[in-house]
Amino acid sequence: MYLWKTWHDSRTRVVVYILAALSVGLLSGLEVVTWANWHTLQLTLERPIHRNNWDFYGDLTFDLLRWQVIGYGQVAALLAGLSLGASGVGREYGAGTMHFVLTRPRARTNFVFTDWMTGLTAMVIVVGALAYGVLPFLWFAHAQGPGNILMGLPSLWALGAAIFGLASFTTLVGGSAPKGLVLSVAGVLTYLFLPAALYEWWHMDTLIKAQNWTLQILSRDSYHFHWSVTVFWLAAAASFLGASLLWIKFREV
Amino acid sequence: MSDLAIHTQGLAKFFGKTRAVDGLDLRVPRGSVYGFLGRNGAGKTTTIKTLLGLLRPTAGSAQVLGYDIRRDLIAILGRTGFVPENKTLFDSLTPAQLVRFNRGYFPNWSDELAARYAELFEIPMHARFGKLSMGNKTKVCHLLALCQGAELLVLDEPNVGLDPVITDLLLRVLVEDHVSEGRTVFLSSHQLAEVERIADWVGIIENGKILLETRLEDIRQNYRLIRAAAETAPSVSSPHLVAAKRLENFWSYLVARDAEDFAAMLRTKGMTILEILPVSLGEVFLGLTRKEVPCISGKLGTIPAPV
Repeated sequence: MYLWKTWHDSRTRVVVYILAALSVGLLSGLEVVTWANWHTLQLTLERPIHRNNWDFYGDLTFDLLRWQVIGYGQVAALLAGLSLGASGVGREYGAGTMHFVLTRPRARTNFVFTDWMTGLTAMVIVVGALAYGVLPFLWFAHAQGPGNILMGLPSLWALGAAIFGLASFTTLVGGSAPKGLVLSVAGVLTYLFLPAALYEWWHMDTLIKAQNWTLQILSRDSYHFHWSVTVFWLAAAASFLGASLLWIKFREV
Repeated sequence: MSDLAIHTQGLAKFFGKTRAVDGLDLRVPRGSVYGFLGRNGAGKTTTIKTLLGLLRPTAGSAQVLGYDIRRDLIAILGRTGFVPENKTLFDSLTPAQLVRFNRGYFPNWSDELAARYAELFEIPMHARFGKLSMGNKTKVCHLLALCQGAELLVLDEPNVGLDPVITDLLLRVLVEDHVSEGRTVFLSSHQLAEVERIADWVGIIENGKILLETRLEDIRQNYRLIRAAAETAPSVSSPHLVAAKRLENFWSYLVARDAEDFAAMLRTKGMTILEILPVSLGEVFLGLTRKEVPCISGKLGTIPAPV
């Protein structure tokens, strides 16, 4: 039914995203490990290997890989969230098929839930795929395994869910995927630049402080699980879900 | 269980100041084929969308298959097959995939009927819907509506893009497979000849209000067009008078019944009765909805063609 239809429509894109994310993870992992090995080799040639050097480059490799996951993960969360959200149920308005969808004997909200279920599942897999690509190199580079790198993922997923929610909602409001995408990109840019602009113009720093707090999960040093920020982004996602449910319930076709 | 498949009382739908449906009272008997007629913009599609929950009524109430459109929409949608005006489905899916999609929503779905209609209507089941011709898109919409085991079929402009052979086939399928099973067909169309062929009830809507709702058989048996001549326009009134038009010194009266009594009344007012004629659905429709426009002579209030 609608779950099958949304999967049918998005499967090619999702598979491409997953392959791209895995490739980025694998390539970046390969790059970092090669770089570290090269330096270790240089040390080896210069003098007898000292265990501290191994540890030093092992730790550095680990840090670099962690930054790759966080850095690429935020880009993946942004792109996957925007793209998957903008291809949600709202585009049926623009395609002229909403009357067909809404005359199936199901509650209107059911279609939004289905859309969110498939979209969020795809987003979680895509963002996670980056980390999965890096994982083998983490084990190679560091005896203690991936450990806390994976602790950064839930925050990225929560951020991706909020971006997905924004794009899904703006697509419902705009009535088509292009309009939804434009509106959601505008929303993201406003979120990113408005606090800085307010600070520049009127020296208001409240918003910029709040923004910094919500975006601390994107910091390269952030490999701990941020409960409060994750909850904030999940709450943002939930509010977009609520707004989408209200919108589809009351909007006429 | 109500004897009416569709029953509206004072149903209204306004878009700002535009009154698309304005106090509509419909009574569609169960098991009937009901032709819902009206000019462009008369309010037919808005009425259908309101009955199926796509639009929210501004005022009034409506029951479909005994269920209230505000409270029991899902029960209505589970029992109603709908062919929309625009005939747009998912472009990325093939008709076979659309069948698969639709089947899951309707417990009474018949794969047997789907295979039969696919063959009968010559539908390319494995081509993408977006690539199909208008006629084939219309056929797919019909296939989906007809196979879901619906108690009520709501067809908005059902023969858009269909050739005469398929149109004929569709009308036969509607009558033989569905109406004979006791199902109701609610048909909104401009094709009066096709409506006249299969409908047993008609409702004519204009400016969101119902002008006429009657059995087609009643039109055939009782409706008459009376042509009369008079030097001056007499004042006439009758509960059976449906429409009156003037062409210089000649008058045309469309009456719903008791035409002879009405003619006699005209004679008493000094009019000369020229003829009393039976009328077709098309003549009734035009008599009720045609606007008086300037004819070639440029005189307002004249009729371009005889009613």
